[in-house]
Amino acid sequence: MRPVLAILAILVAITFAVLAFDRPLPRAELNLINGTEFITLDPQRMTYAHDIRLNYAIYETLTRWNTYSDFEIIPGLAQEWSVSDDALEYTFKLDPNGRWSNGSPVLAEHFVYSWRRALYPDTAADYSNLFFVIEGAEDFFHWRARQLDEYTALTDDEKIARFPDIAETPGLGRNERLARAAQALRQESIDHFNNTVGIRALDDHTLQVRLERPTAYFLDLCAFAVFAPCYPPLVERFASLETSTGRIQQAYDWTKPPLLITNGPYVPTDWQFKRGMFLERNPYFRIPDFAKSATIRIVPINDPNTGVLAFQTGLADFHTDVRVDYIADMLAQKEQGLNDYAQAISTFGTYYWNFNCREFLNDGRRNPLHDPRVRRAFAMTVDKRAIMMVATRAGEKSASVFIPPGSIPGFNSPEGLPYDIERARREFNDAGWFIGDDGLARNAQGDLFPTVRMLYSTGSYNGAVALALGQMWREHLGVRTEFDAKETKAYRADLQRQNFMLARGGWFGDYGDPTTFLSLHRTGDGNNNSAHSDPYFDDLLTQADNERDPEKRMRILEEAERYTMEETLPILTIFHYNWYFLYKSPEDAQGRPNPGGLRGMSSHPRNVQYLWLLEVVRQEELDAHLAAEAAR
Amino acid sequence: MIGLILRRLAQIPVVLLVIYTVTFALSWALPGSAVLNDEGRAPPAAVIDAIEKQYSLDDPIRCYKQYLVRVTGIHWLSNRISGSSTTPTDVREYIFDFGPSFRFEDWSVNEIIASSLPVSVALGLSAIAIALGIGLSAGVIGAVRPNSWIDFATLAVALVGISLPSFVTGTLLLILGPVWAGVGTVGAWGTLGNMLLPAFTLSLPFAAYIARLTRMGMIEALSADYIRTARAKGVGPTTVVLKHALKNAFLPVLSYLGPAAAYAMTGSFVIETVFNIPGIGQHFVDAVRAKDLFLIMGVTLVFASILVFFNLAVDLLYRFVDPRIEQ
Repeated sequence: MRPVLAILAILVAITFAVLAFDRPLPRAELNLINGTEFITLDPQRMTYAHDIRLNYAIYETLTRWNTYSDFEIIPGLAQEWSVSDDALEYTFKLDPNGRWSNGSPVLAEHFVYSWRRALYPDTAADYSNLFFVIEGAEDFFHWRARQLDEYTALTDDEKIARFPDIAETPGLGRNERLARAAQALRQESIDHFNNTVGIRALDDHTLQVRLERPTAYFLDLCAFAVFAPCYPPLVERFASLETSTGRIQQAYDWTKPPLLITNGPYVPTDWQFKRGMFLERNPYFRIPDFAKSATIRIVPINDPNTGVLAFQTGLADFHTDVRVDYIADMLAQKEQGLNDYAQAISTFGTYYWNFNCREFLNDGRRNPLHDPRVRRAFAMTVDKRAIMMVATRAGEKSASVFIPPGSIPGFNSPEGLPYDIERARREFNDAGWFIGDDGLARNAQGDLFPTVRMLYSTGSYNGAVALALGQMWREHLGVRTEFDAKETKAYRADLQRQNFMLARGGWFGDYGDPTTFLSLHRTGDGNNNSAHSDPYFDDLLTQADNERDPEKRMRILEEAERYTMEETLPILTIFHYNWYFLYKSPEDAQGRPNPGGLRGMSSHPRNVQYLWLLEVVRQEELDAHLAAEAAR
Repeated sequence: MIGLILRRLAQIPVVLLVIYTVTFALSWALPGSAVLNDEGRAPPAAVIDAIEKQYSLDDPIRCYKQYLVRVTGIHWLSNRISGSSTTPTDVREYIFDFGPSFRFEDWSVNEIIASSLPVSVALGLSAIAIALGIGLSAGVIGAVRPNSWIDFATLAVALVGISLPSFVTGTLLLILGPVWAGVGTVGAWGTLGNMLLPAFTLSLPFAAYIARLTRMGMIEALSADYIRTARAKGVGPTTVVLKHALKNAFLPVLSYLGPAAAYAMTGSFVIETVFNIPGIGQHFVDAVRAKDLFLIMGVTLVFASILVFFNLAVDLLYRFVDPRIEQ
């Protein structure tokens, strides 16, 4: 009995010791559930939607959007700006009251530093190409990559000899000389940046940016998360230089409270990995009490089902990312009055399938989908409404075009291709394919239409959609399909090598301009997974780049989308994504305040939710409302 | 005894090196790129190139060697000796440096393990404690009154405990407890109350196995000659069962406890997911899915070390409890 008790005692003691180290986060005024842990709090390296949502709460950009109307640009940290007559030079006047969360002022040079950081390949910022609209930025990015490659190739002696000053300084050790050489190399890159890239701090609060070419959406970009500043003295404390390559090595200790310093309405005061994050108002923010809720707690819950249960049992006021496959049922129940919190909004994104547009497949066979007529025939035999019944069933809008209609002011979406089996068969025949007596498609030589390999990532509804598409093509075109379901990583690897005939795809726009979608189909674009290449289309985009009249520019871009959606068809669009939230409406059916409801959500498809606009309706508001009603 | 310990200790580095090599080769062979994110945006090629160069992801042999030097502490040691480290003073350095995580970009693998391993250890150990309590009492009762209704009841519970997967029992308990009865919370972690449900769920299969082991051992022990002797000389029934019989019947349970504890501490992926617990089990699965090379290496090596040392500890403990093993 004694060994048993001894073992039990040890086990219990260890358990308590561990629990003593965990400090659960307290409840805040506003409590959120996120679908995953944050990836990074470094503004320049952000990519994921939930990181970007946090970015807007803890950093402040030069401009921002009015999320309650048409997403027009309004002043952020920059109180005003002027644009030169040639539309190339932007001069921003920063609010002199702008403060970091340690009280020091936000300076124009902080933006120079942060944007330069984004343009260093060393930083590995996924969005660095958004900065390429700035004069000299793209050249600088490649110049730096070359500089590092050349430096790495040198021997240690050559590295030192590259800087005669350092080589000739007496009394230095070899390691010291190498370290100084790396510093000199970095200084060289900073000098090159200052001489060639159009970003300048004219004084403490004036930032001047010169663009490569007129960019109608530049102010929109300035409102985007990766254009937010980081605090240079803090970041530099954790940066070092690798002597063998000259590369800047960044440690990320600085993104964790209490070290982290931000300039937005909130500052994170606690971040425990996989447990949660706590935000408090930035005490130095330039507008006092700007943020509606004093504190925010964000708990990451990976399992979709657990996330919903956690919301239902009161862990949070707002679930930001619902991915359960019964969301359609929850929405239906809300219609019947069985719950009051399932919410869907349409977003700035589209679900589609990529056609492989290359002439030959990776195994050397001729690709029948290279012919746009075949692609159009495939598209016109798809009954998108039937597909929606097997996909999410949650009321998304079916898509005949790429850019969600109505999401960009001044841009009129084209029609896209209709659901028209007759026309589809005609196009199919024109392309040289005929449906035989056995119901299978053959060409004039009697060769069967190759079995179409459909690549998709496992999980979610992709498999069901593939099956439905395959049935439609078998029935209407006599084309057989086979499925190639892979884990996300393997799927993505195949996608980028065009190792498919059709592959599932999806895209969310980043900024408020049609090019955020259309540039995907430009020849050679890094995200051009269909390998679409068309000189007329590329030429349209170049024309739009050079067009100064915004009206005319929109007409050119409309033509570009019409051309890809009705003629060359690199992708088969299925539906525009919805985003699902759980939160109670701020008002009940009688228009009274609904305690626990969430006020301040934007319903615009761009789906930017500024956390500082959100607040939970308090019980006192209902009490006051009822008292006022009674008094009347 | 000391010779045995030394021999076993000397084997450990060899075992770990083999595990390191095999894990490295397998993770390297995973399809896809570790540094590309899954959000679907391809950064400029030079960005990918830069990360791959920084961690030698363009050359498996160099990466294998460099990483080995870091995780074994040789890199740290040589930096101390030569004083050539360029790491800023504010950056935390680790003796056994498992490198950065590619998926959780702001966290190093060391930080992730440090934050998640204690959680899994606490959860696993409390589950084992619960399993011991339930299993031993059920086993003893079953042996003292074999084939009674209470014996069949414990057998039934044991069967359910072993056969039902924990995502079923876990979800069921979540719905019964927090959702219907309003007891406990979903998705929270950090208090003893938060740990009860997951620890209980995790304990069920172990409790069932321990119960059956104990019952078997007890029935055998209770029919042994020395028990008859003890009874004959007037020892009370409680002492006979709990002191004399249980002592022998406990031996198979003890040898099961070592691997069970190691398994409970790291094998709780499903429970961590269902109860949203920040433990280490999820990384075994998620890191592989994300091809997060260094995180895979880190958790595997830590788990392997724990397992190796646990086996050693149980072997030694066994000799201590049962002197017959000495030869």
